[in-house]
Amino acid sequence: MTAQPALKDSNVTPLVQPAAGAVADVAPELSGMLRVLTCGSVDDGKSTLIGRLLWDATDLFDDQRATLERGRKVDGGNPDFSLLMDGLVAEREQGITIDIAWRYFDTKTRRLVVIDSPGHEQYTRNMASGASHADVAIMLIDARHGIKTQTRRHAAILDLVGLKRVILAVNKMDLVDWSEAKFRQIEHDFRTLMWRFGFREAVAIPVAAVSGDNVAERSKHMPWYKGPSLLEHLEEIPSRGTEPVGAFRMPVQTVLRDTRADFRGLAGTISSGTIRVGDTVLDPVSRRTAKVQRIATMDRDYQEAVQGQAVAIQLDIDLDVSRGSVLAAPEAAPVVARTLEARFVWLSETPFDKKGSYLVRTATDLVPVTNIEIKSLLDLESLAVHPATACKVNDIAIANVALGRATAIDRFVEAQETGSFMLVDAITGATIAGGTVTAASPDIQQQDNVFLLTRAMLTRGLCSDIPNTPEGEAEFRRRSNEVALLLRSAGVAVEVESLPDYVI
Amino acid sequence: MTAQFTHLDLLESESIHIFREAAAQFRKPVLLYSIGKDSTVLLHLARKAFWPGKLPFPVLHVNTTWKFKEMIAFRDHWVKEFDLDLIEMTNHDAIAKGMNPYDYAPSVYTDIMKTVPLKAGLDQYGFDGAFGGARRDEEASRAKERVFSFRAEGHRWDPRRQRPEMWRLLNGRLGAGETARIFPLSNWTERDIWRYILREKLDVVPLYLAKERPTIERDGQILMYDDNRFPLKPGEVPVMRSIRFRTLGCWPLTAAVESTATTLEDAVAETLGARTSERSGRLIDHDQVGAMEKKKQEGYF
Repeated sequence: MTAQPALKDSNVTPLVQPAAGAVADVAPELSGMLRVLTCGSVDDGKSTLIGRLLWDATDLFDDQRATLERGRKVDGGNPDFSLLMDGLVAEREQGITIDIAWRYFDTKTRRLVVIDSPGHEQYTRNMASGASHADVAIMLIDARHGIKTQTRRHAAILDLVGLKRVILAVNKMDLVDWSEAKFRQIEHDFRTLMWRFGFREAVAIPVAAVSGDNVAERSKHMPWYKGPSLLEHLEEIPSRGTEPVGAFRMPVQTVLRDTRADFRGLAGTISSGTIRVGDTVLDPVSRRTAKVQRIATMDRDYQEAVQGQAVAIQLDIDLDVSRGSVLAAPEAAPVVARTLEARFVWLSETPFDKKGSYLVRTATDLVPVTNIEIKSLLDLESLAVHPATACKVNDIAIANVALGRATAIDRFVEAQETGSFMLVDAITGATIAGGTVTAASPDIQQQDNVFLLTRAMLTRGLCSDIPNTPEGEAEFRRRSNEVALLLRSAGVAVEVESLPDYVI
Repeated sequence: MTAQFTHLDLLESESIHIFREAAAQFRKPVLLYSIGKDSTVLLHLARKAFWPGKLPFPVLHVNTTWKFKEMIAFRDHWVKEFDLDLIEMTNHDAIAKGMNPYDYAPSVYTDIMKTVPLKAGLDQYGFDGAFGGARRDEEASRAKERVFSFRAEGHRWDPRRQRPEMWRLLNGRLGAGETARIFPLSNWTERDIWRYILREKLDVVPLYLAKERPTIERDGQILMYDDNRFPLKPGEVPVMRSIRFRTLGCWPLTAAVESTATTLEDAVAETLGARTSERSGRLIDHDQVGAMEKKKQEGYF
């Protein structure tokens, strides 16, 4: 059965026949969505390629088309397609630390979300955060130069954040006389490079962005190429949310109650797999199971729900689970972990600080970190691993993370959403690194004696004057962090008991 | 087995996820309600996120007192219908001192009548997170906006302090003095808003539909004569025209379009068929180069 019907027709009969075309013509509900990351440098013609794709295949507004037309003179008869993606000077000067621009276009059948991130080498973190939102990446290269170290670096980053589909757009084919030999050589190099990564699909397409060859339309200049154009390929890729993979997981966001009816719904978004009414689910931390009684939403109840759906699940018995729990399929449960082995993309300008206070934010849990031990750094050029104890911005670090308490977590290769996390600075709240779990263990990592600064200790004396208000809470946090800092600078390993992150 | 999700299904689920995440992570959130089409969708999604419970936060409306009368009537109707906890903020001091949208530049007026009372409201009630209906497709400076957007003390938006977001993870932990803006409609487009309103059969303010209304044509734009505070220039007389609005704000600053689209279907067909981006009808955005950018740094949504 299908989980949600597509509502394509309005049931309301218009009183007056519309003059400017029926709603179904101008506002059809699209059958899917695809998020596309573009990587490559300006020199490779990235902006021109994307601009050309949107010009040929999507629903640009008239004022956007006019902007492109204005660039016509300088580009030998063609509109300046690059203006669409990077014509915004003021915007580029904003200086946002991590720059990802999101743009939205509709083809006849689906929404294309173009995620654009700068492609220079120093922007590892930009690409990593952009790629983590994408379904497919277009890696752009110049046919004259072939595969470069940058391509390898990009592929490594895409793989790291779990991207499964990549397209190598071999651009400027016009400048190599539409040479099949040239393209086949690049395609061969690409395949050689790709085998070591975990991509499910990697295709190479020869294109010429300026003239539009193989962008939306098949090229007349390259009859030897029998594959799809870039657009055709993008329209063949399964839409977001149509491929439920892996075992059932639902991180619980909150508990919804209806006092009038006897309803206690565990609310969340299904992060992997499928769930049906009657299925048994497990709370990994308490190791208790229950049966799904109801899968509810405001619109209607479902017999079955899949990855990507936001629902409220009612169980036949009260498991006493709340935010931070992960409901899971009992036969393939997540690890209730105290120690993680992880790969980080270091996002913060502030380097790793052995004495820093960090938290791990999983899908819906926030867990204090007792220790982080950096083991090595990944060299994105050689893909080799070098021993290290420190890491800084744009580094890919391999580390052990000891957690202050157990939490349910997966290996990233098995379940991306419940196998990834953010490292958070406990004091500033800033997001420090994005991490993927490579191994999780219920054991507590061997470590020096850590002194736990508990809430009770703090309220007894130091914080006894603090009122029970939001300002008081902030002051409580400030004082406890200050004490921790002083103790750490005196060489005492210390952990601050975290305040509850939420109130139910 | 394959599920068939339309792109609106995917957007809806994502927005519900954001609502639930923010409500759990922030201590005292509030929903910024501006009565327009985006707010209508925002409120609808919030109700879905917390159904069958009541909204776990109040809604805040900044009333400049220059809103269309029909907007206020619409607001009051739904506040009652959905049992919402409404907070209204108005800069009464500025009104007493003669602030109005005619004698002051739109940017000054917006700052004094919208940004100032908005900040005052957030401070007065101690809200640490505010839901807004902003979308990334609205304007160039929004294309890089985060779902959780952080504001330093004094509600300043500092581009250097914006946090990277990866996967579906949202980090709402606040540093000292910080508050957040939360944008559940980040990935929606104007078309999606209308498509969704039709699909969900949501009521919108009747101003979105064509009707004979008293108007003044000035500088090539049609303005509605909503009450007698409109200072007529010599020779100007209100003329009845069949008009509707593509976006709603303060009536002296919001231009109408001539239209005969009296049903929502017609209005949407006309709006989406027009093929120009929506904010061309808002006078405040034309006031100065990078207007939105500047307003945002000063604490505007």
